[in-house]
Amino acid sequence: MLVPYSWLKEFVDFDLTSSELGHRLTMAGFELEAEELTATETVLDIGVTPNRPDCLSIRGMAREASAILKLPFKDLSVSVKGEAGQGPSITIEENTLCPRYAARTITGVRNGSSPKWLTDKLEACGVRPVSLIVDITNYVLMEMGQPLHAFDLDRLSGGRIVVKQAGDTKEFFALDGTKTVLEPDMLLIWDDEKPVALAGVMGGANSEVSDNTVNILLESAYFFPASIRKTSRLTGLASESSFRFARGTDIGALDLALDRAATLIVELAGGEVSTITDIYPLPVQTREIEVTFEKINSIIGVNIEQSFVENTLISLGLDTRRKIDTSRSLEDTLIIIPPSFRNDIQTDIDIVEEVARLYGYDNIPSTLPSVHMSPAPEHELYKQIKTMKNSMVMSGFYEAVNFSFMNPNMLDQLLLRKEDHRRSFISIKNPLRQEDSAMRTTLVPTLLQNLSLNLNRGEKMLRFFEVARTYTDTGDKLPVERTELTAILHKDKSAALWEARNVGYYDLKGVLENLLRVINLHGVEFVPSCDKTEPYLHPGKTAIIRVNDENIGTIGVLHPGVAVAFDLKGDITVAEIWDLNKLLEYTAAIPEYRTIPRFPYIERDIALVVSDSVTAADVKREVLTSGSDIIESVSLFDIYKGKPLPADKKSLAFAVRYRSTSDTLKDSDVEEVHGSIISRLQKNLGAELRS
Amino acid sequence: MLSEIEALRETAGDEINKAGSLKDVQDLKVKYLGKKGLLTVKLRSMGAIPPEERRAFGSLINEAKSYLESAITSQENRFRSDELNQSLRIEKIDVTVPGRYIPAGQLHPSTKVLDELITIFTGLGFTVAEGPEVELDFYNFEALNMPKEHPARDMQDTFYVSDDVVLRTHTSSVQVRTMEKTPPPLRVIAPGKVYRCDADVSHIPMFHQLEGFMVDKNIRMSDLKGVLELFIHRVFGSNTSIRLRPSFFPFTEPSAEIDMSCVICGGKGCNVCSQTGWIEILGAGMINPRIYEMAGYAPDKYTGFAFGLGIERVAMLKYGIDDIRLFPENDRRFLAQF
Repeated sequence: MLVPYSWLKEFVDFDLTSSELGHRLTMAGFELEAEELTATETVLDIGVTPNRPDCLSIRGMAREASAILKLPFKDLSVSVKGEAGQGPSITIEENTLCPRYAARTITGVRNGSSPKWLTDKLEACGVRPVSLIVDITNYVLMEMGQPLHAFDLDRLSGGRIVVKQAGDTKEFFALDGTKTVLEPDMLLIWDDEKPVALAGVMGGANSEVSDNTVNILLESAYFFPASIRKTSRLTGLASESSFRFARGTDIGALDLALDRAATLIVELAGGEVSTITDIYPLPVQTREIEVTFEKINSIIGVNIEQSFVENTLISLGLDTRRKIDTSRSLEDTLIIIPPSFRNDIQTDIDIVEEVARLYGYDNIPSTLPSVHMSPAPEHELYKQIKTMKNSMVMSGFYEAVNFSFMNPNMLDQLLLRKEDHRRSFISIKNPLRQEDSAMRTTLVPTLLQNLSLNLNRGEKMLRFFEVARTYTDTGDKLPVERTELTAILHKDKSAALWEARNVGYYDLKGVLENLLRVINLHGVEFVPSCDKTEPYLHPGKTAIIRVNDENIGTIGVLHPGVAVAFDLKGDITVAEIWDLNKLLEYTAAIPEYRTIPRFPYIERDIALVVSDSVTAADVKREVLTSGSDIIESVSLFDIYKGKPLPADKKSLAFAVRYRSTSDTLKDSDVEEVHGSIISRLQKNLGAELRS
Repeated sequence: MLSEIEALRETAGDEINKAGSLKDVQDLKVKYLGKKGLLTVKLRSMGAIPPEERRAFGSLINEAKSYLESAITSQENRFRSDELNQSLRIEKIDVTVPGRYIPAGQLHPSTKVLDELITIFTGLGFTVAEGPEVELDFYNFEALNMPKEHPARDMQDTFYVSDDVVLRTHTSSVQVRTMEKTPPPLRVIAPGKVYRCDADVSHIPMFHQLEGFMVDKNIRMSDLKGVLELFIHRVFGSNTSIRLRPSFFPFTEPSAEIDMSCVICGGKGCNVCSQTGWIEILGAGMINPRIYEMAGYAPDKYTGFAFGLGIERVAMLKYGIDDIRLFPENDRRFLAQF
């Protein structure tokens, strides 16, 4: 809020520079956001938090400043002289939305332009002068925080006011000329026939004060804040008035503001003022709050003088007295009645805050809590994610953190089928851009975009991963949020660096195998994906990652069509682990110990020629399931395709390691088993020994 | 016979000591000590020696053999050592050629800072808790004392999924969710992504926050100040000072904004701190008793504090990053720096 320094000084006679004043206000909860120098004076831009609408005026801010600075507050004195004629007729049909409505009529005014002192003050507050009558209502709004509205009395049918909801009325033309679509529960101000204002938000074009206006009806009312906020939000209409009504105005002082404005109008624009009509059927009850000194001190962690507490509360305008308790000798309880402008003070904790605020947070010591020691259990998922991220980083990957948004079109670019679960996304009703209108159901497209951005900037040899949630709409109120890991590896065909050799599927697979080893996930299989290939991956170069017959992820080369859709060149390999939480079920927390072998091993190589469709995993499985307990491991060391082999054949070379747990193996022990393995491979896989 | 051996020993010894190369030494070894070597032949001829002379002969010949062996070894060692020294003089690699390794990647700076903060707070006995990012309006607002149409909702621009479902605007949404499941006392941090419908030079629509809260008997506002001071000192160094300013959050009372002395200028005043010497770093306060009511705690028995801070803001101050929009961009040249 803009607060002209000199205007504030009219209420409190402080001897501080604007910066010093700003600092004092800041340290009491009213942050000085900026200091502006206008042609005539210094204006402080002060942040007023939503709980303090009473400070959305010069008078309110001055009242607060007087408490902060411990200086007297010079309040306005207002009295309407020479009332003539009866106040206007007012009917409130919605007591809850409008518990109080007051008005006076002023007849025979001359509207025109405002004197300079008035327009200067308005402009310092950031308000554009309009005409004398409107300027005076705005002046009182700035000065006292009470929104006022002046109707042209001659344009009010029946010269009377009715406060009721819109009901069947569908539209309203506000004074800025815009057509507003109404909801049935929006509160309106009516005359005998028609709505003349959107209550608390904006007046109507049909009853607006003009230069020719001679008779006015001046409104000063209290409207229920939530209703005003909702109307303002739904209509998109906002004003200085609606801002204050939505935060809560001072229901007890609206008559004072009305009188202040009426007096100024008579003084500056002439005319005769009527008596007041003040409809206030159920005056708000004051509330008593009890709080002990002990509570104040124990929550803040200090020992504040009782007199300081009492003086502070009184200086803030809170009716404060000690509770007389005949059964106790100590009067250690305060009874406090907050004034009508401090609707934010409801319970004892609000009193504690007021004391702490004016005591000064700087004066509160720093202590550490004394608590019973208790071990903090580790967050398993967080711990595992940290391990996984570090493993990816050590394998050369950069961590990307993307927005959780995606463009729904990207699902088409990924070639996802109609029934794909990733099409069940959550939409944002008010996205910043259409491209960011859906919540991600897959991390793949945003990583592809990261790749594209970096390639366009000339970066090469790119490896990225992201660990983030995806959000799948399953029809419940909240989507299913799943934490996934996606990694992407790019080989630029033009890269001539020696590091670029052999980058691709096997590199990413190796990274993944290493990652899974690091988190103690054993028994992982990479199974050809066949007809279960993700639509955005290459069907012949993709594996499903499986543990305990459960699919936990996938790895494969990006589908060339998808690469084109994302405007990417080069070989791109993508891996996904779909549910890191579920992975926790498989990762044994305590690794299983096995005795270190005491006897040496014997290694034998097998070089086979097999059909192209036979996989390395097929051979390995055959060897390991051949039934001998001396086979320790089998590892692939060579793959060869090409001449002199036929085109549909390849050569695979394995090393088989034999070891006994009970004694040193002799060659003859191994020969027998090795021979049976070879014949098994010949029989079951149609393998031939390579000569 | 004995003199022959002595002569042989002398000659052989001379030859060995005068040998010019390792090969010469090895040839001499064969010549004298090999299977048909001159000394070996003598040794074999021992049978022809009369028995009374054998002992003297044997001792002499063995002594000669070990003398020659040791002379040969010492010569061999000398030549081998010369050879090694020679090759050490010649052999060279270019030690300035780049090394071979898998170049490590980097964690995102947001993750780095988040990890650092989590380590600090878990060290103080705080446990990590999580909650959904697509959240019920109830946990994000209502349970935090912000009913529908509460003006404090204006403080955060909210993404809506429906009237009752929002993208959480702060990790404070985890507070009541955790309290509903866990009886006091508790010490919890809730790290994670939050969303605001706001994008300009200094705002991005998704960023990270760390919420912390502690509920126990006799927790005071001075404890909040102490814990936050401790944490700021750990992250920004113990020369950093903090100040608390009164502020407003519906779910804390009293509420405070916490400023720290500007890490860029050391408090003298610069562009980063708008010449004030102070930088706003987090929001905090004593948990409003209404939150305990919402969570089903006994409001009179427990007190506690809560705080929340923006991770990217901490990262910007810690690393001196001048544009928040770099965080979601994932340019490798940016990521590689932390």
